[in-house]
Amino acid sequence: MRALLFACCVLFLCAVSVNADLAPSKPVDQKVSKPTQETKYLLHTSLEIATDAKAYEAKLQIPQSQLEHFRAALDHGPGNPPIVGGIALSSTRTIIAGLLMFLAVSVAGILIARASSFGRTQKTIAALVLFAVVIGAAAIITRGNAGPPGSYRWRNLPQSLAKGEATIGGVDIEVVPDDQISGRMRLIIPLKKQNTSGEE
Amino acid sequence: MQSAIELKQWPTARSVPSARFFVAIVVLCTVAAAVFASWLPLQVSIVTVFLFAGPHNWFELRYFLTRLPVRFGRSRNFFLTAFVGLGVLTLVYVSLPFVYNAGTWSEDAWSTIIATWNTALLVWLGLLVWLRSKQKTRANWAWLIPLGLALCSLNWLGPDFFSLSLVYIHPLIALWFLDRHLRRTRPAWSRAYRRCLCVLPLVVAGMIWQLSQTSSLADNNGLFWRITQHSGAEVLPQVSSHLLVSVHLFLEMLHYAVWIVALPLIGSTAMAKVWDVKTVPVAKHPKGFPRLIAGVLIVALVAVGVLWFGFSIDYATTRDIYFTVAIAHVLAEAPFLLRMM
Repeated sequence: MRALLFACCVLFLCAVSVNADLAPSKPVDQKVSKPTQETKYLLHTSLEIATDAKAYEAKLQIPQSQLEHFRAALDHGPGNPPIVGGIALSSTRTIIAGLLMFLAVSVAGILIARASSFGRTQKTIAALVLFAVVIGAAAIITRGNAGPPGSYRWRNLPQSLAKGEATIGGVDIEVVPDDQISGRMRLIIPLKKQNTSGEE
Repeated sequence: MQSAIELKQWPTARSVPSARFFVAIVVLCTVAAAVFASWLPLQVSIVTVFLFAGPHNWFELRYFLTRLPVRFGRSRNFFLTAFVGLGVLTLVYVSLPFVYNAGTWSEDAWSTIIATWNTALLVWLGLLVWLRSKQKTRANWAWLIPLGLALCSLNWLGPDFFSLSLVYIHPLIALWFLDRHLRRTRPAWSRAYRRCLCVLPLVVAGMIWQLSQTSSLADNNGLFWRITQHSGAEVLPQVSSHLLVSVHLFLEMLHYAVWIVALPLIGSTAMAKVWDVKTVPVAKHPKGFPRLIAGVLIVALVAVGVLWFGFSIDYATTRDIYFTVAIAHVLAEAPFLLRMM
């Protein structure tokens, strides 16, 4: 009974943690653009915004390897997600997977709790490891935004630009139909309005 | 007396190569396979599948026949489950392309169908493990239950990735068979073999290191496209298809080498005399079925010839058909591997 309660607690904690940290919907500024179904999400990479006092023209520098990744993602067809994005996009499948994971964790917990060959310390360590693995796997699989949100890295961009310093953060590459952005490239930075004291 | 013992042992010592010789051959074959697979993956893949796909299935069938008991006895339920599951899963798998072409399926619906088949496979494996564990009362296989459930869960999260993992894991099963076989027939080589297996991840890591930055293979014709798709180029678009095809081909080459070369040569005389039906216990036994076994092996030999003929006429189509039907031999490995544990 104690083992069952323990397994239920582990599962309950997992469910709460994962649901609380579900990946939010794509952050899109409604004033700037309204992406339609034709928008293709290619991949997530990192972007560095730097200033150069000697430059006369803005430049967009793309590493060769990244360009090949773009090409591969484009060739792959419309709307195809990246590696992790291909996982559990269906709610039905996610529910079934969650149910099975619940059973797996429960049974594993009971087996650990009932194992006579394990001491109390070993059982505790095993339970902690199991818990950590489940939380980690769930966070990766559900693309949970564990840790600070993507906008966190861009929060000091204005100050860095003013100082002439570089800022590095994550960026989603999207291909948008021409009529939506008038044939121009657009870089959307997730910056929130700041008050006078400089706090968000 | 001493000389008599030496004389008695001398021929055996001469006829059985040492473990060092075995290790050298294994490492040499592994490295050679990795080099060829990395160098010209598409071309070597075509040649390898053409030459060895059919024969390896024939050797595998013969190996399974040698492992088949004359009377099932206490294992009746195990073998019944194995054969019924094998038949049903194979039939459903083979019918999947027809089902796909028969209607218009959304990506989500099709993923659900694939996930369902994968779950049926895992349930079948779970049943076999449970039946086998009833015969192995000393072994504790209870930990396989959460493992199986976790695999089911991962399968539902990414059915395509699960199916792709089967493509890469299946060749490694042959290495497991060889391990079990060596433990029975040549225990002295077993430890050396396991050490050799440690080289395998290093070789794969080396291939990944060398090929991860290479550009993807040109899959501008139907055959090359099929080969890259089979290795997972569509499921893993960010990974160079050169790397995927090379790693898969490398594992396939090891798989073929184990079934066609290693097991017949290293195994017992029953496996060495492949042409002699009487070396198969089911045929040799007074209550056995020599004609049936001979017939099965002859039909399988004809199938190998037909496969070669098909490859010669239309390689791409034959390859598609072969890799669909070949799911049967992938599934058949599970019960026989369990029987060896």
